[in-house]
Amino acid sequence: MADTAATPARYYDGETAEVHHVAVRVTTQELVIYRPTGAEIVARWPIGEVVVLGDVEHEVVPPVVRRGSDARLIVDDPQLRANLVSLVPSLRPLLPQPAAVGRRIAMFSTAIVAMVGIFWGVIEYGTEYAVPFLPHSLQAQLGETVLDDLLADKEMCEGEPGLAAINRLANDLAKEAGYPHEITVHIVEGGPVNAFTLPGGILVFYSDLIDQAKNSSQVAGVLAHEIGHVVHYHPTKGLIRAYGTDLLLKLVSGGYSEIASTVGGGGGLLLALRNGRAAEREADSTGIDLLERRGLRADGVSSFFEQLMEKEPKDAAAAAGIWSSHPPTAERIAATKRPPTGKPAFTDAEWKALRNVCK
Amino acid sequence: MSNNLSPWTQTAPQDASPTTPPGTPWAPQQLTNQPPHQPPNQPPNQPPREPAPAPASGGGPPPSRPVYDGRLGELYAIYLRHLALMLLTLGWSRFWGRTNIRRYVWSHLAVLGDRFEYRGRGRELLIGFLFALLLVAAWVGLMWLVWRFVFHERPMASFGMFDLFSLSVALIGFPLAYVGHYAGLRYRLSRTRWRGIRCGLGGSAWGFGALATGLHFVNATTAYLLTPLVSVNLARPRIANTRVGSLPFVFAGRAGDIYGRYLGYYFLNILAWVVAGVAVFAAVGGTIESLGLSSDDLLKLLAKPGLNTVLLILAFAFGAYIVFGLLILPLRCWWQAYLLRYLVTHSRAGNVLFTTAISTRQMWGFLVLNYLIVLLTLGIGWPVVMHRTMKLISAQLWIYGAPEGHEIRQSADRGPGYGEGLLDMFDVAGI
Repeated sequence: MADTAATPARYYDGETAEVHHVAVRVTTQELVIYRPTGAEIVARWPIGEVVVLGDVEHEVVPPVVRRGSDARLIVDDPQLRANLVSLVPSLRPLLPQPAAVGRRIAMFSTAIVAMVGIFWGVIEYGTEYAVPFLPHSLQAQLGETVLDDLLADKEMCEGEPGLAAINRLANDLAKEAGYPHEITVHIVEGGPVNAFTLPGGILVFYSDLIDQAKNSSQVAGVLAHEIGHVVHYHPTKGLIRAYGTDLLLKLVSGGYSEIASTVGGGGGLLLALRNGRAAEREADSTGIDLLERRGLRADGVSSFFEQLMEKEPKDAAAAAGIWSSHPPTAERIAATKRPPTGKPAFTDAEWKALRNVCK
Repeated sequence: MSNNLSPWTQTAPQDASPTTPPGTPWAPQQLTNQPPHQPPNQPPNQPPREPAPAPASGGGPPPSRPVYDGRLGELYAIYLRHLALMLLTLGWSRFWGRTNIRRYVWSHLAVLGDRFEYRGRGRELLIGFLFALLLVAAWVGLMWLVWRFVFHERPMASFGMFDLFSLSVALIGFPLAYVGHYAGLRYRLSRTRWRGIRCGLGGSAWGFGALATGLHFVNATTAYLLTPLVSVNLARPRIANTRVGSLPFVFAGRAGDIYGRYLGYYFLNILAWVVAGVAVFAAVGGTIESLGLSSDDLLKLLAKPGLNTVLLILAFAFGAYIVFGLLILPLRCWWQAYLLRYLVTHSRAGNVLFTTAISTRQMWGFLVLNYLIVLLTLGIGWPVVMHRTMKLISAQLWIYGAPEGHEIRQSADRGPGYGEGLLDMFDVAGI
């Protein structure tokens, strides 16, 4: 077998930090590591046990080792490396690859941009179509967890006839929209004058809203608006989008930079708020539509907003601008203005029961 | 040790030229006269050797510096591949990506002509992460039990499950971050080889966690007047427990040595904050007044930002940055550079001594500029920061003497079987 060129490589014996400057030759069965001066043999490694650790993309000179030993052979000379590889196929990882750094950078950058785009599309538009197919039990479970946590220290209103009335209307409206699952409305004692929707068709009303409503159509209007959120799956979509944007930012910033995520998080919040305003508009229009389809009075939403405006002439949502989760109230009044015609949404008895739900 | 009072450490020249080795505070007679090994003819793949500067004033072998010959483009290619895989695997490839980056960086750093080797594996990091996940899950379970049987449906039940959990994580998170930091260091060192010899870190990670938590707590409650004590006592276990095979590192620093400089920094810092605060306040107040705006107008402007408002806010941010950048940060870098010089100069490994003349300006580049690069590029600039850091180390760390290779023996301790889970969970995850 031909000798390889006697160019120095380095050998670390794995027992001490001594550096041996060596040459290498290959016999039929062995890698013989020896000192060029005096030809003293330093080590003989059976070829079958020789492996290369790592690769040339990440390491300047991947160390050659004998399996199960701490000793290392560092073949610095490219000519010797090429010779060794031609004689010992298992040393192939030592061969330098063409650098082509520019091409790799271009390729991976393109891949990243494309994947960010796809990821973004999935978050932004995919949720729109995919969320209705998410198992309802999963969404309901999520909603109930949030509900338990939110209402841990709150008094609930338990008046059964009142609860039955509001749940009856909620389910009628949801059925009108073709929503296939049961809706549950909870009423919390006290304020603020508000109501909200959780994933899985869970609605929460504050009793102050019911107390301050001038008539039943206002409560029905707010209820219809919340059902609008339910049938468009807004709460689940919002959660998934928030989580998705957060994940995307973490991945793109390499997970290395908390600060980058924080800055990005600000952008994510603005985006969530923009989505939020769009969702409110959608819920407003769907709510009105549902009431009208059932021939019910649909002036409640706008009259309720007008009442809020009278109390608080400064339009908080308009003042908050891009930082608001809701569109300006005046805009919503204009968009939901309807004549006070149609059947009342609640019967007189139902309305009375609802008024007394907390007593 | 009398050399703690080295004239050099106390009055490091701020403009030290990088090719002029600073003096060493260790007695020169501790050095052996063995010259660093030099191969007869240098093959192309060996790290370029530092041209030996004139011997330092005490005699002994010429000092050397680590050599970093990594290329930014190559590092970017590896980093971008890592990012692309992160997107594809929703982050689960990070263990392998991190390992690859370390292999690149370690392999391009050489000390005394021999390159480092990183032999960690992605799956070891994955297992470490899964263990930490298990730990957190167990903690959640425990907290759930506590909540269920102690707080639930009791008079003080205004305490939700999530409140309890967040509070408890905040409480255990701090100590665990320190434990994780130490354990992570141990893992990385145990996977680092030089001349085929494994490095290692002794000592207890939990002990370090307790020490760090205690010291930081006491420091915070005494208006940060104990900072030198904290810095030195947290540096000691990390340096003195480090070893290369059988060769241990030695740390001879004492908090007393650096207290004078710290007190100077402490009071200058207070003064700088006062000056900066007054300057910013005056500038903001003056501008608002000159524009004749009421606070209501201001709120309206912020809610619907026009181009002018955005530009104005940017101008303010820039102004505040200049004020803070000019006053506060250089002061902090002045102290940090001094502290680092002190710590490095008071460390040695056998007869090998270390020193650095890192300047305030270089510390600014390391702490402030690097931070801004990552921030302004949303993380894409990270390889630049890594590259700059390695270049800084190779330019600023001076090594005096060379170890007797045959005296450093391989250690039987192979280190932990997996790594960095806690670090990944509770600390800022880096390379």
